[in-house]
Amino acid sequence: MTLEQKMDDFKAQFESGGPPYNAPKAVIEVFHRATEDLCQSGLAERALKTGERAPAFTLNNQDGNSISSAELLAKGPLVITFFRGHW
Amino acid sequence: MELEALQTALPDIQRLGASLVAISPQLEKYGHSVHRRLNLGFDILTDRGLQVGAQFGLVFVLPDYLKTVYLQFGNKLDEFHGENAFRLPMPARYIVDQQSVIRSANVSPDYTMRPEPSETVATLEELTNGRG
Repeated sequence: MTLEQKMDDFKAQFESGGPPYNAPKAVIEVFHRATEDLCQSGLAERALKTGERAPAFTLNNQDGNSISSAELLAKGPLVITFFRGHW
Repeated sequence: MELEALQTALPDIQRLGASLVAISPQLEKYGHSVHRRLNLGFDILTDRGLQVGAQFGLVFVLPDYLKTVYLQFGNKLDEFHGENAFRLPMPARYIVDQQSVIRSANVSPDYTMRPEPSETVATLEELTNGRG
């Protein structure tokens, strides 16, 4: 199954208001409004794009070890995925 | 969901000589538990204060109406992030080449949308074959 299919299934399940999330209709509407507002804000269009320079970074990993983008890029291309968090 | 999907694509990413990191504002201890639970072969990095996310132009402040709902459901973003600013990054996936130039950028203001890992692998393949 593709990631898109999995995410669509999750969304359908969540928006059904049924278990396991049992999301009230009002909450679902808030999420819709938030997504719509964020899309309309144009923020995504102002984010860094193809052809631009990626900022260098040094951040801690899950074990508290320091990881630098420069070291990773010395070995090859780098895929960076930004996610909101697993709550 | 996305992290699991990327884990499945990790052997292909590594075969092409590339690295993969996931960045989120959640503190290391939360990253640690996700990393263990999903048995990931790539690092989860903590972007304290969302500084890197902001440099990529991805950070937004939760509107009050959304913050209220998060708090109602006990989603303590302030604890997860170690700050009380209630900010999040838009989900995004970037491919950066060895000259630090972005070769692919996919930003999702709709958090229910993500690019397929197979697309990322295909772009990397083009890049490493010199056709990118």
